[in-house]
Amino acid sequence: MGKKDRKISAEKTTAGKLPKEIEIDLRDRGIAESDVLVSVRTDMNLACEFTPGWIIVTKTRLITATADPLAGEVHYFKGMETRKTRASDRNREWNFAEYDISDVKNTYIERSVSGGFLILVHKDKNDPEAEGEAETVAAVSNHCMGSATKVERICEKLAEGKEIDEDMLKDDEEEDYCPTCGTMYPNPDRKVCPKCMNKKSIFRRTIAYLKPYKWRILVMFLCYLATAALNIVWPYLNGVVLYRKVLGKDEKFLSFLSIEGNRYVTILLLIVLTMVMTKVTMQLVGIIQGVMTAKIVPRVVKTMRNDVFGAMGKLSINFFTSKQTGSLMTRVMSDSDEVSGFFIDGLPYFLINVFSIIAMAVVMFKLSVPLAIVALMFMPITFLVSWRMLPRLWHRYGRRHRATRSLNSKIHDNLSGARVVKAFGQESSEVGRFDKANEKVRSADLAVMNYDNKFSALYSAAENLASLMVYIVGAYLILIQKRFDFAVLITFAGYVGQMTGPMDFMSFFFRWFTNCMNSAQRMFEIIDAVPEIQEKEDAVSLDTIEGTIEMKGVTFGYEKNKPVLKNINMKVEGGHMLGIVGRSGAGKTTIVNLISRLYDPQEGTVTLDGVNLKDLSFKTLRGNVAMVSQETYMFMGTVAENIAYAKKDASRAEIIRAAVLASAHDFICRMPDGYDTIIGSSGRELSGGERQRISIARAILANPKILILDEATAAVDTETEQAIQQSINMLIKGRTTISIAHRLSTLRDADTLIVIDEGKIAEEGTHEELLAKKGVYYKLKELQTKALALKGIE
Amino acid sequence: MGFKNFEGADEEFDLAQMEAETEEMLRLRYLNKDNAVFARTAGGFVSLDIAKGEKDEPEHYDRVRVVRSFPFTAPTTYISIRTTEEKSKEIGIIRDITKDVTKEVRAMLEEQMNLRYFTPVITKIHDIREEYGHAYWEVETTEGPCKFVIYMNSSSVVSLSDVRLMITDLDGNRFEIPDFTQLSAGELKKLDLFL
Repeated sequence: MGKKDRKISAEKTTAGKLPKEIEIDLRDRGIAESDVLVSVRTDMNLACEFTPGWIIVTKTRLITATADPLAGEVHYFKGMETRKTRASDRNREWNFAEYDISDVKNTYIERSVSGGFLILVHKDKNDPEAEGEAETVAAVSNHCMGSATKVERICEKLAEGKEIDEDMLKDDEEEDYCPTCGTMYPNPDRKVCPKCMNKKSIFRRTIAYLKPYKWRILVMFLCYLATAALNIVWPYLNGVVLYRKVLGKDEKFLSFLSIEGNRYVTILLLIVLTMVMTKVTMQLVGIIQGVMTAKIVPRVVKTMRNDVFGAMGKLSINFFTSKQTGSLMTRVMSDSDEVSGFFIDGLPYFLINVFSIIAMAVVMFKLSVPLAIVALMFMPITFLVSWRMLPRLWHRYGRRHRATRSLNSKIHDNLSGARVVKAFGQESSEVGRFDKANEKVRSADLAVMNYDNKFSALYSAAENLASLMVYIVGAYLILIQKRFDFAVLITFAGYVGQMTGPMDFMSFFFRWFTNCMNSAQRMFEIIDAVPEIQEKEDAVSLDTIEGTIEMKGVTFGYEKNKPVLKNINMKVEGGHMLGIVGRSGAGKTTIVNLISRLYDPQEGTVTLDGVNLKDLSFKTLRGNVAMVSQETYMFMGTVAENIAYAKKDASRAEIIRAAVLASAHDFICRMPDGYDTIIGSSGRELSGGERQRISIARAILANPKILILDEATAAVDTETEQAIQQSINMLIKGRTTISIAHRLSTLRDADTLIVIDEGKIAEEGTHEELLAKKGVYYKLKELQTKALALKGIE
Repeated sequence: MGFKNFEGADEEFDLAQMEAETEEMLRLRYLNKDNAVFARTAGGFVSLDIAKGEKDEPEHYDRVRVVRSFPFTAPTTYISIRTTEEKSKEIGIIRDITKDVTKEVRAMLEEQMNLRYFTPVITKIHDIREEYGHAYWEVETTEGPCKFVIYMNSSSVVSLSDVRLMITDLDGNRFEIPDFTQLSAGELKKLDLFL
C-alpha cells in the first residue's frame, strides 16, 4: 500500500509540465494523469527537423507529440537552453502518434552521429518469440538522448513484465538546470553554473590566499607608491626647477634653500645630484619591489596548486577519465600563475596608476590650464589605440602559441613513433607533415609581427602627436601670449611622456582582470567540485571482514545513457574465488570497478558482508581491497618504495618476503642496485613480467581480504605466466578473490565462474557445471585447449 | 538473447565449424545489384535478401544498418551494410553506391544514411563568445538558427580538411562548416580562435 502511494507521488511531478494541448489530447484518448508512467521531452520530429516534442508512456501505450516546426525558430542546446527557452512548446500545433506497446518484443535506440532514433520492435503476430514489424517512434539529438534512453528502458521493463522502480520514473529534468538563472549546466556531473558563480566571492577568496603575506604586500605597495611619487617629481625637477628656478636664476628659490649670493653653479650641482638621487631611488625601489614579487608569487602559486591537487585527489575516478577535464588540469596549473600574478602585480599597479594619473593631472592643471587640456586631450587617443589594438595583437599571439604547440606535439608524435616511421620508411613523408605544421607557425609568426609593427607605429604616432601638440600650443602660449616660460613646457612634455605608460596599462588591465577571474573560477571549480563517490558521514567501519561480496540488480554505465552492465546478480562467499570470463568489452572490468567502488551503480546495490558499499567507510573498503591489473603502474621511486606503496611502514623483511612470494626477489637482486633501484617514468625500464610481479608483491604486502585480479597475467609470456600463477596461488589463499582472465587455465581453481556477455550474466556455475552445460564456457575451453593445441601454439 | 555469435553452441564442439566462423570474420563480401535485393519495409527501414549467401543458402535481414566507411572523405563508396543489434556485424559492403546498385536502391540507402549522418551545416555565424572555458555559439544553419555551447579544447573544433570544420557541442551534437573561407571577414574573425 505504502509503495503505491509513493508511486502516485512520483507521477504527480509530471503534472503541469505538459503543454495544455497535449493534456487535452491525452484526456481525449482516455489517458488519465495517473496512467502516465513518464513524459519526456524530445527535440526533433521523424524527418530530423528541430522542433519541440514529447513522448508519453503508459503501461500499454506510447504517445508522441511533435510540434509543427516554425520557420526561424531558434534551437537551444545544452548550455544555452534555459527554463525560458524550454517554454517554446507552449501554444503550438501538435502532431500526435500513438503506438501500442503491449506487444513490444524489443526496444532500442539506433544511434546516429549526433543523436538517435527510438525504435520499437513488435512481436511477430504468429510467433510471439520472434521479432515482427519494427517502427521508428521518435528522433532526438544528443541533447535529448536522456529522454530516449529513459523511454527505452521503461519499455524494456514493461516488455519483460517487470516492476518499474521509482528511481526510473523520477523526474530528474530539473536537476540539470541551475536553480538561480535557469541555464542548463554545461556539465551535469559538476553542478557549477558558470554564469552564476559569484565573481565577488571569487575575488574575495583569491585575496584570502594573499593574507599571510599582507606585510610584504604592504611594502610592495609602498614601493609602487614611491615610484609613482618619484615619477611625478621627476618632470618637475627636470622642467620647472631646473629651467625656471636654476637656469632662470630665481633668487627667491635661492633664499628658499638658504644659499647666499649668486652661487648658481652650486645650486645646479645640487639639483643634478637630487635628480641623480631620484633616479637611483627609483631603481632601488624597483629592485625591492621585484624581490618582494619574486618572494611572494611562487609561494602563493604553490599554495594554490597544492589546494587544487589536493582537491583533485579527492575527486572520483570519473573526473579523471572525462576528456575535457584532462585539459582542464593542465590549464589549472598555469591558472594559479595567472591569478597570483594578477593579484600581486596587476592590482597594486592598477591602483598606483590611477593615483599617478590623477596626481599628474592635478599638477598639470596647476601649472597651466590650457596646456593641460591640450595634453590630456590626446590621452584618450593613445588609450583608444591600445584598447582597440591590443586584444587583436594578443589574439595573434594566441594563434602563434597554438601553432607552436601543434608543431611541438607533431615533433613529440614523431619521436615517440620513431620505430614505426623507420620501419615503414616514412621519414620523408614525415618531413612533409612537419613542414605543413611549420608553415602554420611561420604564417602565424608573420601575422604577429605585422600587427605588432602596425601597433607600435600607430601607438607611437599617437604618442608623438600628443607631445607635438603640447609643444606647438605651448610655444604659441609662450611666444604670443607669454603666459608662462619654457620651463613649464619642458615639465609638460615630461608629463605627457610619463602618462602614456599608465594609460597603456589601463587599456589592458580590464582584460587582464577578466582573464584572471576566469582562471580563478576554473581553479575554484576544481577545489569546490563535489566528488561523486563520497564517504557517508555516518559510514560503517568494520574491524574484521569476511569478504562476502554480493551484487543485486546492478545496472551501470560510464555514461548515464549507455549501460555497460545490465541487472547483474551474483554472490561470492568470503574466502572463495570467483572467475569472470567474457569477451573484451563485455563489462568484466566494470564489475571490479564497482566492487572497489571507483564508481557507484546507477541501479541496484553492491554489498560487502551485507553492508552496502555506499554505507561503508573508505578505510574499511580500501584497506581490504587490493587490485592487480593488467596495467601495472610504477611510481617514481625505488623498487622497495613501490612494493610498500600501500603499506608505507613495512619493514625490509616484510618487503623481501612479499617479493619472494611474488617471485620477484630474484630479478630484483640481479639488478645492480637491488631493492634501491630507481624505477618509474625516469628510472630503469622493467619488462612487463617484472612490473607485474612487483605489483603482485605490492598486493601481497597490502594483505587485503579481497583481492581483485584483472587480467593480471595477460601481458606476459607463457613461461612467466606460470611463475606468476604460482605466486598468485600463494596470494589467493584465505582471501576472497575475483579474477578476470582470458586464459581459462588461470581460473581452474575458481569456486564459481560467471560468463559475461553484453553486460549480462550469460552463464554461471563451477568449472564442471559449465563444461557439462556445453554452452559458451565449454566452447571457449575447447577452443583454447584443442584448437590451439592442434595448431601447436600451446 | 545475448550470445548471438555462439548460436548452436550446445552441439559437440566442432573445430571445422569454428574455423569456418573465423574465416567468415576475415572475409569481405561485396554486395551489388546482382547478389543483393534491398527493399523498403512498412516501418520505413530497409530489408535485405541475399539469394545465394553462405554455402548458397538464402539470407534474409528484416532491417539493416547502412554505414559509411569514410563518412567525410568518400561518402558514396564503401558503404557497409550491417545488422542492427548493438554489436552489429557486417553483412556486406557496397563498393560504390553510384555504380553498384540501382537508382532506387541508392535513393533508399541514401535516405537511411542521411538520417544517420544528419549534421546541420552552419551558413552564418552571428556570434561566438568565449567565457569560462566554454564558447557560446549563435549561428544560422540549414536546419534553422541554433545556439549551442562547446568546450574550449582542441577536440571540439576539428578540421577535416584545409577548409572544412566539424564542431561538436557539449552533448556531442555535430555541426559542420564545409568551407570556412566562404564566410565573411567578420564571421572569420569570430571563428579565428579555432582556426
